[in-house]
Amino acid sequence: MNREQFLAQLRKALGRTAETEKREILADYEEHFRAGLAEGRSEENIAKALGNPSAIGNAFRIENLADNTRTGWKLADVFRAVFASISLGFFNIIVVLGPFLGLIGVLIGMWAGVAGLAIGGIGGVAGAIAGPFLQGLLGFSMTAGNVLFLFFAGVCTAALGVLAAIGMTWVTRQFFVLTARYVSFNARIISGRKAGGST
Amino acid sequence: MNIQFKKGVLELCVLVVLTRKDYYGYELVQAISRSIEIAEGTVYPLLRRLTKEGYFTTYIRESVEGPARRYYQITEKGKDYTATLLAEWKRFIGGVNNLIGKEAAA
Repeated sequence: MNREQFLAQLRKALGRTAETEKREILADYEEHFRAGLAEGRSEENIAKALGNPSAIGNAFRIENLADNTRTGWKLADVFRAVFASISLGFFNIIVVLGPFLGLIGVLIGMWAGVAGLAIGGIGGVAGAIAGPFLQGLLGFSMTAGNVLFLFFAGVCTAALGVLAAIGMTWVTRQFFVLTARYVSFNARIISGRKAGGST
Repeated sequence: MNIQFKKGVLELCVLVVLTRKDYYGYELVQAISRSIEIAEGTVYPLLRRLTKEGYFTTYIRESVEGPARRYYQITEKGKDYTATLLAEWKRFIGGVNNLIGKEAAA
C-alpha cells in the first residue's frame, strides 16, 4: 500500500467524524509519511509499519465515543431522564399499577384455591382413616363403601392440589420474571440506553 | 496479547516517554517502536485523546529540514496522571512477578 492508498482508506474509515477533525488527523499521518520519507524509507514500508488504516480509523472513532462517555451526563440527558421517569411514573401508576395489583390478587386467590384443594384432600383421607374408629364414639355410622369413597376422593383431591401447586409455581415465577423485565425496561428508558445495550 | 491490556500499556509508554522531553509525532512513534512492537498508526489516536483530556498540549515549531512540526508537551495534569499510572503498573507487575515466582518455586 502506498501513501495515497493509506490516506484514502483512513479517510473512509473515519466515516462521519467532523470534517475539521478529519483534516487534522490526516495531517498528522501526512506529516508522518513526510518524516519517514525524509529518512529514506519507502511509502510502502511506512504504511506497513503504521498498520491497518481501517483499524486506525476505528480507533479514532472509539476514542471519540470514549471521550463522550467520560465527560459524563450532559444536562440535556439529565432532563430527558427526569422527564422519562416522571412520565413513566404516571403511566405506571395509571395503566400498569391497577392490572399489576389485580394480577397479584388473582395469584393470591389461586394459591388459596390450591391450599383449599390440598387441605380438603388431606381432610378426606384423615376422615376415611379416623371415621371407622370414631363412629361409635360420636354416634354416626359409616359403611365400608362410604369409607372407601371418602379415602379415594381425598387422595384425588390432594393429588389435584399438588398438580395445581406445581402449575401455580410456574405461573407465579413467570409473573415475577415479566415484572422484573418490565422494571428493567423502565430503567433502560430512564437511563436512555437501548434494549440490551451497554456502553 | 489482550488488546485492551496492550492499549493501556501503550498509553503508559507514551506518557512516560513524553515526561523526558517534547516530541513530534513521528519521532515519538519511532522512540516507542524501537522498544516495543506496535502498529505505529495506533499512537496517533492515543495522542489525540490524551491531548483532549488535557494531559498534553501541542505547539508548532519549524524544523531545520523545512516543514513545521507539531510537538507534544506533557502538562502538570499529565505528569500527575503518569505518576498514578506508573504506581499502578509497578504494583501490578510486582503482583504478577510474585505469582510467577511462586509457580516456578512450586
